[in-house]
Amino acid sequence: MNDDPIVKIENVSFSYSGKNIYHGLNVSFPRGKITAVLGPSGTGKTTVLRLIGAQLKPDCGKVLFDGVDMHALKRKELYKIRQKMSMLFQSGALFQDMNVFENTAYPLYEHTNLPHEIIRDVVMMKLEAVGMRAASKLYPSELSGGMSRRAALARAMVLDPELIMYDEPFVGQDPITKGVLVKLIADLNEALGLSSIVVTHDVKEILEIAHYVVIVAEGSVLGEGTPEEIKNSSDPRIRQFINGEFDGPYAFHLKGKDNYLEEL
Amino acid sequence: MLNFLGALGRYFLQKISSLGRSFVMLINVLLVKPDFKRNTLLLINEVYFVGVQSVIIILVSGLFIGMVLGLQGFNILKDFMATGSLGTLVALSIIRELGPVVAALLYAGRAGSALTAEIGQLKASEQLSALEMMAVDPLHRVIAPRFWGGVISLPLLSLLFAVIGIYGGKLVGVDWLGLDEGIFWSGMQSSVDIFDDVIPMAVKSFVFAVVCTWIALFNGYDCKPTSAGISAATTSTVVQSSLSVLGLDFILTALMF
Repeated sequence: MNDDPIVKIENVSFSYSGKNIYHGLNVSFPRGKITAVLGPSGTGKTTVLRLIGAQLKPDCGKVLFDGVDMHALKRKELYKIRQKMSMLFQSGALFQDMNVFENTAYPLYEHTNLPHEIIRDVVMMKLEAVGMRAASKLYPSELSGGMSRRAALARAMVLDPELIMYDEPFVGQDPITKGVLVKLIADLNEALGLSSIVVTHDVKEILEIAHYVVIVAEGSVLGEGTPEEIKNSSDPRIRQFINGEFDGPYAFHLKGKDNYLEEL
Repeated sequence: MLNFLGALGRYFLQKISSLGRSFVMLINVLLVKPDFKRNTLLLINEVYFVGVQSVIIILVSGLFIGMVLGLQGFNILKDFMATGSLGTLVALSIIRELGPVVAALLYAGRAGSALTAEIGQLKASEQLSALEMMAVDPLHRVIAPRFWGGVISLPLLSLLFAVIGIYGGKLVGVDWLGLDEGIFWSGMQSSVDIFDDVIPMAVKSFVFAVVCTWIALFNGYDCKPTSAGISAATTSTVVQSSLSVLGLDFILTALMF
């Protein structure tokens, strides 16, 4: 397997609505591995995924996917290269007027000319892999949160992408569903030889399966390494985040201009 | 004072930037290579959604507007002993002005607002983002069929409005107030010309269709992905479309008549 990183972010700066989100972000995501992107809320973890998918354009810097600068591509070329990647959205983002089967089959009907029988078989295999074959006729409104994520995962992998990006896959899930999703991400990454980038706050769960961890905060990378290296980090900011301490370098109280006593 | 000027400058920059984005969207939609295999069914769905589902409101409004025009026209023309011109009055008023304008206003309220809300909801629920990441361009698969659906539907709705409006005028003038039916129709036949009246009506309807559908789709596509954002975008669609239709109507009337 090619050892070059699947995604390389070089010196990227990005601001949104006048707020500086990243300044000089440099990070690489290894090929064939599960990389966890961790960090406090509001630091722009999802923004990283959207920069990789070229849904957002950086102010400066490069985002290379498989060595290709995503933001230098023409519209048609961009849509072509996006066939090699997919994303599991926080909400699932299933098409509400289509059932689970139709949702999963949609990318195949769009990008291939395969006969319906073959598409049906491929879709059923993907739904079986996420344990949703029996729910193929259900509509998104009839699914629980966990089932929606699993159906969306089947859709995300139906074109056999090289990279799957997961945006907060465990949010709002009960412990059992969380466990199911953790196992699915690990199994699929292994079985399909994918590269995965998982943005999450669920430190305990993701450190069980991640091969590499990137912690972002304050507009750049706070720390990166294997889960062991991150767990053993002496950086108090990383320790506060990994151990979930309520106060520390990241203050519990948001910074304000007014003095509390004066305000009272 | 400086703050005020700064805010004013920001406001205008935002508006210009928004206008630029809307033109980029329109050009991308117009340049889409037709994909008859995949888009024909989507186009038929959209013609049904924005066109067929607007037929009832167009027919009822057209009938009542024609009836009011017949009644008012008859009462006014009676004072001048000119009730024989009622057919001409009703037909020209509806074909030249009321047909395309009122149909476009109704279209903006009924179909335009629905288009904005639908696209806004697709955006808020990340379905447009999901399409992009599936390597499916939403401008091709979501926006373009709706745009062409609107452009096909509104001229046909205007035509329906004109037909039912004239019938409404006849219902009041001839069937209720007793004007001779032959005079009503012959006056209309001798004064309405296809090149001077009907084709300009079609041109107006086409322009209104492009503008109203473009505004509706862009407001949905560009809205803030929240419930308040969708609500504001829907309101903007109705206000901007209505004002655009009225303003453009004056310009087109000055140019064509």
